[in-house]
Amino acid sequence: MRTTPFVSVLCAVTFAACKPSNQQQAPGQGSAPAASAPSASEILIGATLPLTGAESRIGGFFKEGYELAFEQATQNGGVSVGGKKLPVRLMLLDDTSAQATAASLADRLINSDKVNFLLGTYATNLVEAQSVVAEQNAIPYVNGGGAATAIYKRGYKWVFGLLAPVELLAESMMKWIDAEQQAGRIPKPATIALLWENTSHGKDFRKGVTDFANKGGNYKVAVDESFELNGKDFSALLGQVKAARADLFLADAHLPDYITMQRQFVTAGLCNKVISYGARGSEKQAAEALGKKNVEYVISAVWWSPLLADKNPLAKKFVDAFKAKYAGRLPEWYQALGFETARALFTAIEQAGSLDKKAVREKLVAMKVPSLLPGGALTFPAEFGQQSHAPFVVQQNLPDGSAPLIAPPDAATAKGIAPNPNCK
Amino acid sequence: MERFFELLIAAVLLAGLYSTMAYGLGLIYGVLRIVNLNHGGMIMAGAYAGWYLHHALGIDPYVSLLLVTAVAFGVGIVIYRGLVHRLPRGAAGGVQSLLLLFGVWLIVRNVAYLLFTGNDQTLRTSYSTKAIAVGGALLSVNRIAVFGVAVAILAILHLVLTRTYVGKAIRAVAQNPDSCTLVGIPVERIYALTFGLGTGLAAAAGLLGSTLFPFNPSFGAAELLKSFVVVVLGGLGSVAGTAIAALILALVEVFAILVIPAYLTAAVGFVLLVLVLVVRPGGLFGQRVLG
Amino acid sequence: MKLRLAPWIRPREAVGLLIVCAVLALAPLLHGNVYRHNLLTLTFIGIAAALAWNWLGGYLGQVSFGHAAMFGIGGFVTARVELSLGLPLVPAWIVGGVVAGLFALIWGHPTLRLRGPYFSIATIGVGEATRLVATYWDSFTGGSSGLSLPMQGNLKYTMYWYALVLAALALGASYALRRSPMGLALLAIKSDVDAASDVGVSATRLQDLVLFLSGSTIGVCGGFYASYFSYIEPGDMFGFDRSISWVLMGVIGGIGTIAGPALGAIIFVILRENLIAYYPQLYLGIYGLLLVLVILFEPLGLTGLFLRVFHRARPDLAVGGPVVEPPAATAAVSAPKTGEAK
Repeated sequence: MRTTPFVSVLCAVTFAACKPSNQQQAPGQGSAPAASAPSASEILIGATLPLTGAESRIGGFFKEGYELAFEQATQNGGVSVGGKKLPVRLMLLDDTSAQATAASLADRLINSDKVNFLLGTYATNLVEAQSVVAEQNAIPYVNGGGAATAIYKRGYKWVFGLLAPVELLAESMMKWIDAEQQAGRIPKPATIALLWENTSHGKDFRKGVTDFANKGGNYKVAVDESFELNGKDFSALLGQVKAARADLFLADAHLPDYITMQRQFVTAGLCNKVISYGARGSEKQAAEALGKKNVEYVISAVWWSPLLADKNPLAKKFVDAFKAKYAGRLPEWYQALGFETARALFTAIEQAGSLDKKAVREKLVAMKVPSLLPGGALTFPAEFGQQSHAPFVVQQNLPDGSAPLIAPPDAATAKGIAPNPNCK
Repeated sequence: MERFFELLIAAVLLAGLYSTMAYGLGLIYGVLRIVNLNHGGMIMAGAYAGWYLHHALGIDPYVSLLLVTAVAFGVGIVIYRGLVHRLPRGAAGGVQSLLLLFGVWLIVRNVAYLLFTGNDQTLRTSYSTKAIAVGGALLSVNRIAVFGVAVAILAILHLVLTRTYVGKAIRAVAQNPDSCTLVGIPVERIYALTFGLGTGLAAAAGLLGSTLFPFNPSFGAAELLKSFVVVVLGGLGSVAGTAIAALILALVEVFAILVIPAYLTAAVGFVLLVLVLVVRPGGLFGQRVLG
Repeated sequence: MKLRLAPWIRPREAVGLLIVCAVLALAPLLHGNVYRHNLLTLTFIGIAAALAWNWLGGYLGQVSFGHAAMFGIGGFVTARVELSLGLPLVPAWIVGGVVAGLFALIWGHPTLRLRGPYFSIATIGVGEATRLVATYWDSFTGGSSGLSLPMQGNLKYTMYWYALVLAALALGASYALRRSPMGLALLAIKSDVDAASDVGVSATRLQDLVLFLSGSTIGVCGGFYASYFSYIEPGDMFGFDRSISWVLMGVIGGIGTIAGPALGAIIFVILRENLIAYYPQLYLGIYGLLLVLVILFEPLGLTGLFLRVFHRARPDLAVGGPVVEPPAATAAVSAPKTGEAK
């Protein structure tokens, strides 16, 4: 057969195939246009989220947060841009938890759908990949889903993060443990069994713990092992932990691994004076999957908790609005961060008074507004690469099923309990 | 020493699960000379079936085991009659059947995804975290139960293959299909039956696995490879060979943690697979996998 | 001074390829749509990768489910030499490709003794083991954090032409590997390796060559990917799903054909583009279905379908069989031949 006609057919097909579904071609346009958007009658904000795939559950939560923010803006008549109120629309696509898809979709949103600004996706590696596209196209990218410091250490100018780094998470937890140690409830020095999932998140957690431990000499890391995300069998690893007879069990895991590991932990008869799974601990799903008794006294540090509504008025407003929309269900940090991310972008647009990307970016750089985040304020400090460093809150599961905040002191709603009373 | 004992017991218990998992794959390959790449898919399907019955109807997985296995048996026969049957037998069928069943696996994965979403699921029963003390080591009740069931399944298989007509027919077909036709054994029917049996075993292993580990639609790939290691190491058709090979794999996996970082123990099975295939492709019992 | 081509190159086809490449090279200046431009870049990389996979999977008949290992190695080596040694683009890609090719030789040489399904299963093991080790090897790959490359001005835009050249080279190599006398030898090995050795075909050496070519080309694709995205991460680069995608492209497009896998790559991109908005999680199922249909009804995939449609008036053509014309035919293109269906 002749290859030629075949190859020509190939090319024709390829070409036709690459037709963007949303026909918004500006003729003669090369790379990203510098200034104003094609239509000044609405604000189009693009975003992708993992609505299907490994992170679909959390992607769904972030979506709830985004949608609530957009709804509120619409109820207010829109976002005010230089005196006029413009409707704001979210164009949300599913990146299926895949990196290349997240990057390609960002490309599409920017170059084909011509969005004005971008909101971020969830999961560090997706954000890291997607933010490159935003930076290359000089468009503001505000995200509440990527916590790794690596994202913000690249000197990018257009990327802003609301999630504080996981090192800080570890540090917040260690600070509370330290206070307990000073009060004599935990031995000095204390040994640590440190298990971390082999992802950015886990590595940062490990760094936070080891940095803190090495600072004072009151801690010794006896076990320091990584495990694969979505691993099945941790029994050998837990065997090592058992042999080490450590005082503190500090692990960093995603929800499914937390459930698996904790189940195997309990079955193996393990018990440590302090038990933590990093950002996991108080999820309802875990209590259901493991049984309330098996998650007692587990501490976790999270970016936000609905209990902040007690002392933070913006948090209370958010929780009330969420409960009203979702039949009394309480939001978790995912929805709060999604909401706040969108709100931050709206605020920057209003402050800039225009849809000019550079102007909005400058407002984001200089942002300092009250927020529902712990600490009550939102900024994007330049010394941290424009990543927020709002403090974490530490929670502990109590036998009565509640999970009060035990740190930092200005947000705490109860006193934490150490050592673990369940250990004999 | 206590640690050694603990690890040893853990390996033995795990080996039970591995041998059930591997046997189905080995059976299909031994009789039909087909590598069932849908093996992983059926393991996953079995896990979901057990989980769903427990989650929606409250049926304990060990009780639904028989039902799930039977249904999977039927599914296997359907897959055989509908798809595999159409492929040419023999060398030409080798890679083709591989790819065909691989395609089926992708479909099964997608169906599971649509039905149950990609989220991890765990099966929690009242005894999920119970453990009993045996000689200083704490053993999970679940693992002991899985081991017990696995041994029972293998024992039944052995009896079926050696004592019943069907079993002997299966072994005969594995040795020489043409002669079987001559003596009146319905070879095609035996093929279908074997495929069904292999599929049923895979699902049973999946259900047992679901009581121990969390799973999602991508579950099954690692299990497929481990099954393959066991099959190649242990030879085909011999229940004892499979059991020994499963034990070897389990021991290597479990004791690896003493030697290499915990994270890399996941790679042990894969490396072992490649090594066994390259260094001793005949397995421990001399199978022909070359040429 | 006439240009002397090897006897197995048909001038018409060579010229055709050049024309098509020229058109594609000039296209961006005509349509000016950045999104389509980027999509085409990725398609070209995909075409090159699928073709490279096919040399091992189709020409030699050894289906690999672990090619992502070479892709990842190529990508990370490229990124590393750029970051640590400051190598410019093209040398970095070449280094990445060569290292990937060598890696392929290391695991592939002993493994190629295995036939059919056993080889394929071994490749899954290789792919997964490589992924785990690479994710663990922090200092080289950045571990699970991955590696970020500094942005280089307009690189993403100019990658289009680099990728086009890569795809064209891959297509040319596909053509050469098939039509040249070496192609005959490969066919012989695929059909019966022992018989081939008996007639003097050096099976091991040829297999190694194809293995190296396939591995290094995929490695270069990995390097391109790294340069294009400016951020790579082991889970994504070495993923099993990635390896699977080339199997699908190759088989659905037409395993063993010259340009079939390229078609498979294009279909892959098309399907994804169109499903992405509404049914993002259906790809696997759809590809699985296509795979099943191809195996059952049309072993040469879409290429086979294409041939049937266009040669329906030519019953003398044997579709699907390894019918090959003698390579000693003259270069002049004369009467239509009963060319092989590839």
